[in-house]
Order: sequence, then structure tokens, then C-alpha cells
Amino acid sequence: MFTDEKWSSSKNWFIAAVFWIIVGMTMGLLTATKQIWPELLNNRWFTYGHVRSAHVMLVIYAWLSMAYVGSMFYMIPKLAKTKVYSEKLGNFSLVFYNIVILEGFFALLLGQTEVIEYGEFPLWVDVQLLIAIGLVGYNLFKTVGQRTEKMLYVSLWYFLGSLLWLPLTWIVGNFPARWIPSGVQQGLMGWFLGHNAIGLWMTTVGVGQIYYLLPKLTGRPLYSHQLSMIGFWAIATFYVWNGPHHLMNGPIPGWISKAGVIPSIVLLIPVWAVLANFWGTMKGSWAQTRTSVPLRFTMAGTIFYLFACLQGPLQALPSVSSVIKFTHWTVGHAHMGPFGAFSFTSFAAIYYILPKIVGREMFSKRAMEAHFWFSTVGFLVFAFSLWIAGIVQGFAWIEGVPFLQTVLMMEPYVQGRAIGGTMMYVAQFFLAWNMYKTIKMAKIEKKQQAQQQAATA
Amino acid sequence: MERKPSAVLIVALILWTFGVAGTVILPLFDQEINSATASGELRNYPEDSAEARGREIYIQNGCQTCHTQFVRALPADTNQNLGPVSQGGDYKYDLPHLLGSNRTGPDLMWVGLKYNEDWQRQHLIDPQSTSPGTIMPSFDYLSDQELDDLVAYLMSLKPTEERLEEYKKELNNPNN
Repeated sequence: MFTDEKWSSSKNWFIAAVFWIIVGMTMGLLTATKQIWPELLNNRWFTYGHVRSAHVMLVIYAWLSMAYVGSMFYMIPKLAKTKVYSEKLGNFSLVFYNIVILEGFFALLLGQTEVIEYGEFPLWVDVQLLIAIGLVGYNLFKTVGQRTEKMLYVSLWYFLGSLLWLPLTWIVGNFPARWIPSGVQQGLMGWFLGHNAIGLWMTTVGVGQIYYLLPKLTGRPLYSHQLSMIGFWAIATFYVWNGPHHLMNGPIPGWISKAGVIPSIVLLIPVWAVLANFWGTMKGSWAQTRTSVPLRFTMAGTIFYLFACLQGPLQALPSVSSVIKFTHWTVGHAHMGPFGAFSFTSFAAIYYILPKIVGREMFSKRAMEAHFWFSTVGFLVFAFSLWIAGIVQGFAWIEGVPFLQTVLMMEPYVQGRAIGGTMMYVAQFFLAWNMYKTIKMAKIEKKQQAQQQAATA
Repeated sequence: MERKPSAVLIVALILWTFGVAGTVILPLFDQEINSATASGELRNYPEDSAEARGREIYIQNGCQTCHTQFVRALPADTNQNLGPVSQGGDYKYDLPHLLGSNRTGPDLMWVGLKYNEDWQRQHLIDPQSTSPGTIMPSFDYLSDQELDDLVAYLMSLKPTEERLEEYKKELNNPNN
């Protein structure tokens, strides 16, 4: 029933991922639009809260996670100089994972939520998703186990770590509320997941992707092996401690706050180690970003990663947090890592890997260009609208402007966000169409080749 | 280590465990967040009471995506007149917690102090009628019973009299 064709897991996870980026971003755009026309599609199933939750869960656990798994099903065996342990299991876990995501999606629309941000699926879905992640992890660990290349390239470190951390972190965050002694305790556990879904999954797999792609795309060796080790262990050491800063200035004791804030600031070290390594590798290759869309996506991704990680520690300062917490700013920040940085590197991974798998170039270079520019310009419009909005809103609250009035003040920025968001959304159709065409053309060409060979034989 | 995936995994696991110990396990032993305040006791709703059912409706309809229940000792919150600063013990029975992370709408920590039942009900059915220009969607699709329960829950979000008195005293004495 499930194919064991070479690289089929990677390809199929990518296809599913792109399907879900469209669905997930449809939910996102609907969320943005509902902030302008609150009565749009307002009913028991598509009420604002449901749509927003579905958007967050789908873009992270459906789109981005599936794109990550697709990348790993190609990059891990390549780095280990072996084949995937089981393509069949890879395809089975894909079907299973997608069924679970569908269940979660419908559960959220029906109002079943665990409330925990980044862990909103109800418990019965959480358990299944854990099994699905476990199957993927098992398959990929086994793949590393049968490696013929003994040296572990740094990307493998990141992938192995992430595949271990995600299921563990998932368990902490989704721990059943009835077994937790207090609401704030659950808040800490929930934000442990909330922050580490980003820190120990999105960031680490994404960085692993970049470490893989950069030398391939530029044809140059990695700038420093030493630096990549420092970056890895520093992320592993400090990211885990970041959860409490989400409850800053709030109902948590001072010592927990400090335990969360200090590591948040120390995170600047690994970020710098990682980026110095990326940009060191790029030395002399920047001109190539003009012609290579995957390389351009990767580098734009690293720049957004830098900004996300400059904002992050800054926001973890109690003084900055006191202005921007709870405002639109946070929403802008929350999109920079998942979209600006790591969706971009995943786009690059798809554009690099898919042609290798199907044996043909991407169908349309112009569609890739359109995908890049709509994504980038759209995101900048989107994010700057929200950042400006957040600062205006934050200071308005401090000045004691009545709340409803601050909502009315936000109108132009919320519209700007929706316009930028529309561009980001449109961009993804260029990706989906291009992928569809590439795969289809490759099939046709293979058939023709086979016919020709048959004719000449 | 560069040749041993198991070594990488073991160290990665240890570092992760440190983080869990520090930010998840240790707080379990903190009295401040694990014993209820008097106002926190008020949120210990009897099973199947109107307030408990209302809280479920609040969650099912995603109210927490736009409304925090989280008052900080900061100008942004005091100048918005949000009421007493929330303490860890206020959330002892708040499970799943409804702290929230975004104020698309105002904070609801002590919203029971601010409006009466009629206003709440009217606002849920037709938000524009009470708050012109608001971007809150209407919840007119809820049944009468559901609306009653939700209003009962919202009205229950109050501090104790003593806590309120204390807060008012502090407000009148800004040097304190």
C-alpha cells in the first residue's frame, strides 16, 4: 500500500506541507480580516477564537513541521551517506500525521481546545500526534544508525537534538490540566512548550537546514566547524530556560522571572555564533543571491532570524515588555521566526531538494521570483504594521486612553497587516503551482524518455 | 562526540532536563503560586454550577485568544484601571489557565466589577450596541442557557471585598 520508492517520503511530506501552508494561511488571513469586519463568517464554528487557534496550530505543526520532516527525510540520509531506513514507514507516518492534523483542525473548529498556545489540540489529538512524531523520529534515528559516513556533520546534530526535544517538550506542555496543582504552574508548563516549540524544534531544525543548504548552494565549505559546535551547545543550554519570560511582570515569583529572563538575553551568544558562521560561509558568494532564488530565500531567512533574535532578548527586558506585551507588536514578532526565518529556509529546502528528487529543474523561475518577492515585501508590510501598531497601542494604554478608543486607533495598522498578509498568502500559490507543474512535467518527461529508449532498443 | 550520535543525544537530554527542572519542576515547590488567595478561592466553582459551565463556554468560544486575565503592577495596567494586581494564588483553581497573551480586547481579570448582567448579555449578543466601533464579533449564536452561564462566569470574576478595599486605599495613596 505504501511505496518504498527512493526519496518518496521526502517528496510526499513536502507536497502535504504545501497543501497545509495554503489551508493554514487561509485561516491566518481570515483572522486578520475578522479584525476589520468582525461579523465576517461569524458562527459557532468559524468564530474568531477558533480560526486564530487553527491558524497557529496549522502553520506550525502542519506546514512548517511537515516541511521540516520532508527536508530531514532527504538531508539526513544524504549526510549519513545511506538511504532512508524505511521509505514505507515514512509514507505511512505521513498519512497518519495528516489524519491527526485533520482531527486537530476539526476539534479546534468545534471548540475543543486545551487553551495552551502552540499546544491547543485536545488531549486525544496530542497523544496521536506524539505517536506520529515518534514514528518519524524512530525512522530517522534508525537512518543515522545505519550511516556509512562516520563523522556527524553539524546539521545532523541539530536534527537529532530536535527529534529528541520535540516529543519531550510536547509532553510537558500538553500535560493534562487535572494533574497540575495550579493555573500558574500550568502557565509555566504551557510556555515551556510555547517557547521551545520555537527554540528546540523550529529554530534548531531550521538552523540545521541552513547549515546543510549553504555549502551546497554556494559550493563553499562551512566557515568554521568549531563555531558551529559552540552555537549548537549554547542553544541547547539556554533556550530551554526561556518559557517564564512569557509571564513576565505577572503572577510569578521574582526568581522564576529571573531564571527566564537571564537565559533569554544570553541567547544572543549562540545566535551570533550561528550567524557569524553562516555569513562567514557566504563571503564572496553574496552576488549569487541575485540569480539563485533558494540562496536568496536562505539569506533573507538568516537576516530575519537575526532580527527575530535581537527582538527576542530585548522583549525579555522587563522595561520593554511593560510597553509592548499584549499588543500587536508580539504578533509581529511571533511571525518573524516561523515565517520570515524558517518558512523561508524551508522554501529554499524545497527548491533545492525537489529538483534532485524528481530529476528536473523547478518548472518556472519566474514563479520562484514572484514567490520570493511577494513573501518578502508582504511580510515587511505585515510586520511593520504590527510593530508600529504595538508601540502606539502600548503607549496609549500607559497614557490611560480608554480601551475602546485604542482599538479604533489601530484600524489603519490592522488594515496594513491584512494587506501585507494578503501578499504573503498570494505568494504561496506560486509555490504550490510551481511544485505541481514541476512534478507533473517530470513525470511526463520520464515517460517520454522511457518510450524513446524502448523505441531505440 | 563528533562520531557518536548517542553521546550527542545524551548531553542534549541532560541540558533539556536542567531547563525543565529550573522552570517547571522547581516552581512546584513555590508556595506563592500553589496556595490559593481568598480571591482565588472564589474561582473554585462547584462542579456543574452556572459559573463552571460558563467558564467552559468561555474556553470553547476562544474568548482567551483576545482577552487576558492578567493584571500587572505596571502603568499600562493601573492607568487602564484594571483593578488589583493579580497574584499567583489567584489562579490556583484556574485550570486550564486563562492568563492569555494578547489584548485584542480588554483584560477580564476583574471584569465582574465593571458592568452588570444586563450589560454583559447585551454586549455578547450585539457588541456594537454597547461599544460602538468594537471589533468583537457577536455571540448571538449561543443559546439562552449558554449566554446565562457565560454571563454568570463573567460576573464572578471579582476580588474579595477586602482585596478591593486594600486596592482602593493604595490608589488614594500614590506615595505608597
